Amino acid sequence: MNPASTSLTESVTHVFIYIVALSALFLVGITATMIYFVVRYSRSRNPKPKDIHGNVALEATWTIIPTLLFLSMFYFGWTRWEQMREVPRDAMQVEVTGRQWSWSFKYPNGKVSSELRLPIDTPVRCDLHSLDVIHGFFIPAFGVKEDVVPGKHNFAWFDPTELGTYDLLCSSYCGQGHPLMMANVVIMPGDKFKEWYSTQEAATGPAHGELLYKTKGCIGCHSITGIRIVGPTWKGLYDSEVTVTTNGKTRTVKADDDYLKRSILDPNADIVQSYPASVMPVQKDLTPQDVNDLIAYIKTLK
Amino acid sequence: MSDVAAEAGRAEHAHEEHRDYEGAKLGMWLFLLSECMLFGGLFVLYAMYRADHPRAFSAGGSHMDAILGVANTLVLLTGSFAVASSITALQRGRRKLAMGLVGTTILTGVAFMIVKAVEWSGHIRQGYFPHSHLLQGKPGEQLFFSLYYVMTGLHGLHVIAGIAVLTAALILMARGKVTQEHFVFLENAALYWHLVDIIWIFLLPLFYLAA
Amino acid sequence: MTTSEAPPRAGAASYLEDHGRFSGIFGWIFSTDHKRIGILYLVSTLFFFFVGMSLGFLMRLQMLSPHGELFKNADYYNALFTLHGVIMIFLFIIPAVPGSLGNFFMPIMIGAKDVAFPRLNLLSWWLYVTGAVIALASLFGSGLPDTGWTFYAPYSLRTHADIPMAVFGVFVLGFSSILTGINFITTMHRMRAPGMGWFKMPLFPWALYATSWVQVLATPVLGITMLLIFVERIFHVGIFNPAMGGDPLLYQHLFWMYSHPAVYIMILPAMGLISEMIPTFAHRTIFGYGAIVWSSMGIALLGSLVWAHHMFTSGLSDAAATVFSLLTFLVAVPSAIKVFNWTATLYKGSIALEPPMLYALSFIFLFSVGGLTGLILGALALNVMLHDTYFVVAHFHYVIFGGAAFAFFGALHYWLPKMFGRMYNRSAAYIGWALLFTGFNLLYFTMFVLGVMGMPRRYAFYLPRFQTPQVIATVGSWIMIAGILVVFTNLIVSVFKGEKAGDNPWGGVTLEWQIPSPPPTENFLEPPTIPEKAYDFEGAFAS
Ligand code: HEA
Ligand code: HEA
Ligand code: HEC
Ligand code: CUA
Ligand SMILES: [Cu+2]
Repeated sequence: MNPASTSLTESVTHVFIYIVALSALFLVGITATMIYFVVRYSRSRNPKPKDIHGNVALEATWTIIPTLLFLSMFYFGWTRWEQMREVPRDAMQVEVTGRQWSWSFKYPNGKVSSELRLPIDTPVRCDLHSLDVIHGFFIPAFGVKEDVVPGKHNFAWFDPTELGTYDLLCSSYCGQGHPLMMANVVIMPGDKFKEWYSTQEAATGPAHGELLYKTKGCIGCHSITGIRIVGPTWKGLYDSEVTVTTNGKTRTVKADDDYLKRSILDPNADIVQSYPASVMPVQKDLTPQDVNDLIAYIKTLK
Repeated sequence: MSDVAAEAGRAEHAHEEHRDYEGAKLGMWLFLLSECMLFGGLFVLYAMYRADHPRAFSAGGSHMDAILGVANTLVLLTGSFAVASSITALQRGRRKLAMGLVGTTILTGVAFMIVKAVEWSGHIRQGYFPHSHLLQGKPGEQLFFSLYYVMTGLHGLHVIAGIAVLTAALILMARGKVTQEHFVFLENAALYWHLVDIIWIFLLPLFYLAA
Repeated sequence: MTTSEAPPRAGAASYLEDHGRFSGIFGWIFSTDHKRIGILYLVSTLFFFFVGMSLGFLMRLQMLSPHGELFKNADYYNALFTLHGVIMIFLFIIPAVPGSLGNFFMPIMIGAKDVAFPRLNLLSWWLYVTGAVIALASLFGSGLPDTGWTFYAPYSLRTHADIPMAVFGVFVLGFSSILTGINFITTMHRMRAPGMGWFKMPLFPWALYATSWVQVLATPVLGITMLLIFVERIFHVGIFNPAMGGDPLLYQHLFWMYSHPAVYIMILPAMGLISEMIPTFAHRTIFGYGAIVWSSMGIALLGSLVWAHHMFTSGLSDAAATVFSLLTFLVAVPSAIKVFNWTATLYKGSIALEPPMLYALSFIFLFSVGGLTGLILGALALNVMLHDTYFVVAHFHYVIFGGAAFAFFGALHYWLPKMFGRMYNRSAAYIGWALLFTGFNLLYFTMFVLGVMGMPRRYAFYLPRFQTPQVIATVGSWIMIAGILVVFTNLIVSVFKGEKAGDNPWGGVTLEWQIPSPPPTENFLEPPTIPEKAYDFEGAFAS
């Protein structure tokens, strides 16, 4: 099976086929028997019915055989799953943070990224953290799924065996942006990965702002293309006239540095018209420098 | 058809419904069972959270006034005893006495609620409520107090319901609807009161003696 | 009161004519007659079914294109599936069979005049209506409800929607369900006609008996869970909120401790209906009466021990996951036993493929598909892939709609002549069934494929690669619309205009076929003859 088009990876395909085959067998068997009886014993063919109250041997047979089959299904499902829970020792560790409505990834050397870039054929263990509600870490191509629960330390691991770009989706309903909470999983050749891994990102300026935009969650609500998602787009925002509600009064302000700073640090001070209040989270972990960088980035989005 | 006849049929129904004591009691027991499951959910929560935060829970318990808790237990037990005796009294035909005993139970219920109110307002005045500053950053104690308010609060609602049911029994006795022969309503009311009592007996050690 | 000889006997008029103390609509909504209350439930649950269906229809339209055919704002879609789920589960499928057919037929089938507590019965219906109104009032609150029918914390604690109103509505609905359960258990213990031993009881009452126990024991857990969300939102106490030390997984445990048993509240009565229809149309006794009775009780019991199979990916401990998976497979055993016994009942019968029988046989097929895919979900390794995808959506529509609702529709055809004394149009019934069955499979089987492809549920927008199956499913929903409209137009028209049906059009042997159609208020004008055994067709035909 082509892993890119299905959520089943090879290790579990066998379990899937086993259960589906048995089920199909029984389904077809029961349906065929049913149809045969309906035809064979239709009222026109068999006007005189016969009361048969039961048969202990039959009852026992169709209790015991299905029970054994069910237990075997359980067993296969369980053993494969045990393997899925055992993380190899040499797995690389990545910290995955989910929030409404974006993902960010932190590598052992402190590098932060908005894409999950991984070297091929290296098992990876993802430690899952949520900053707000429950999300679902779901990569259909590799058949991994685990809920990202605030206050819990869940994990998932997998072994990327094919180069390419895959989708990371959010599987657990988390609000308006749930269907858009996606990220790329990029599987790269080992040397390419190393190169990427060891380059330092810009520490200040608009480039750093862009990184913050992608990894601090802004991207989940603000587009840079002009379309409206949950919050207003950032395209052409700088120096534009914005209609806001401040303390219940509607006014028009110019989106200058001061205004943007206030909007970021105290989102409920000015509420942009036609957008809901207290949706945007208060940004606690941004340094003053970060805020400046974000504004510098917004400036570049003409 | 004839409305009179239909009415008669209905009266017959209504009559039968009251006659089946066993049925009425079975129904009540089933209801009590479902009440137990209701509180059961909370007890499960308590157990899980206590296992997670054993120390915080005993710290929380130290803010409780065990004397008030025990006193309230005695108040409830007295009420239970009174209502149980009132059934016996009614069976022996001593209606006045039975009514007096039910009245006593109602008074103990009211007394219980007053003590509860004093306790709650005391805690709130001292700043022990779920959202208060005192508990900021102490998740275990926050949980303890949240559960305390929810569980004793829900129990309090049951006490109020019990008082209402007993009052109804009192009125029915006064009107001669609950009598020496037909006392299943009083019996069921008493059963309900015992339930309220038993739940409290579980709450007492969980909160007041948790320290 | 033994005035049974007096000519215009009390309660001899049909329950449809005898409106009791009040007249007009009040003769219905204040009636304590179990049959009238049954009709009240029938009308109100079907009303909500139509509302829920229309929402499902809109969801399918949205899914026509990856960027949302109807709404560009996900909020509306989120409200759609939330309301669709809440309405279909709490307002339709849980109360539908016990409330309507259970109320109407269970007392008759055990030879009783009414349920044990007629006024409590009426109160249950009123609580149902009140709960429904409260739950729907949440639409007009601070925002459209958008949590899904599961109300998972902490999202439900944060969203702007009016969740307290919605969960309070569900709480009230739960109360209604508990009271019905208490009433039914007491009725079956106390009101069986003389001679109606436990093991002579037909299987529909037996199924309701098992269901009622689940209702009485499991529903309070839902009640307290909803109440906790309510107080948490209103009084800001911290129970499930991780920001206040709470554990969101405990919410899930409590929720599924009710909601898994609830799926058996939905399916058990439906299985009871199947056990009625198959012997009647095969004209022979049920195969393995005892096995079916005990498997009902087994489902009720084992079914309360498997709830955490909804939480395999939530961070459950490995040991717990193993145990819950094992138990999940064991709970499938009693269902399998039933399927085999129903099939065996066809053997050497004299089968008439009337519309109700067609529904009963489709039930066996569709329920098996649903149940067998449940096994796939119960296998740990597979659950990880399929959890929260369309595979789950397909699974539960197969069991709930293909199972419970098909049995319900079949039973409406089966008992319509008894309830209203009139017969429906047979050809219309066959056409409706055919459309329904075709549309159903096109719609939901496609969803299995979507699930295996990795399409998550509760998505207002989706990746373009999922579009083809999504469109096929939507087309299926249109065929199904046509089917449902034919089925219900036929049923509704025949209630008023149908041909007169006899007292026993199918040759059934349970007690409801001994009395006139529609039944008199008193049910039995003379004491019923209790057959030697349950479903004694030989005895019935010999005499
Ligand atoms: C009527 C309702 C109903 C019924 C009867 C069932 C029946 C079963 N369900 Fe289902 N289920 C739901 C309604 C129901 N379910 C709903 C609503 C959800 C989703 C909730 C949500 O998240 O919104 C769900 C979700 C759900 C999950 C969680 C999926 C997930 O979110 O990850 C699981 C996992 O184990 C599961 C398993 C099962 C099993 C094993 C059965 C078994 O009882 C089935 C037993 C029946 C059979 C097995 C078929 C008949 C037997 C044979 C034909 C015998 C021959 C076969 C062999 C010998 C192989 N169900
Ligand atoms: C009794 C249970 C029941 C029933 C019968 C149905 C019936 C249907 N459901 Fe179901 N559904 C659920 C219970 C049920 N559902 C639950 C519990 C969920 C989970 C919710 C959650 O995630 O929280 C769900 C989720 C769910 C989803 C997944 C949403 C998502 O995850 O993104 C979808 C998607 O298509 C869907 C579709 C349908 C459809 C098309 C029908 C069809 O049956 C509808 C058939 C009818 C029609 C196709 C239209 C009929 C229209 C008319 C007759 C129009 C005329 C009427 C008027 C103008 C009044 N449902
Ligand atoms: C959960 C959604 C969400 C997230 C995440 C989010 N925002 Fe917002 N944001 C909004 C909404 C909604 C508004 C409009 C209402 C308001 O003014 O509060 C807004 C408004 C703004 C504005 C004012 C825009 C204008 O048009 O005037 C700025 C600037 C802003 N956000 C910056 C940020 C930054 C920087 C981040 C990330 C660190 C961020 N936002 C993350 C939802 C979000
Ligand atoms: Cu995050 Cu869904
Ligand atoms: Cu389940």
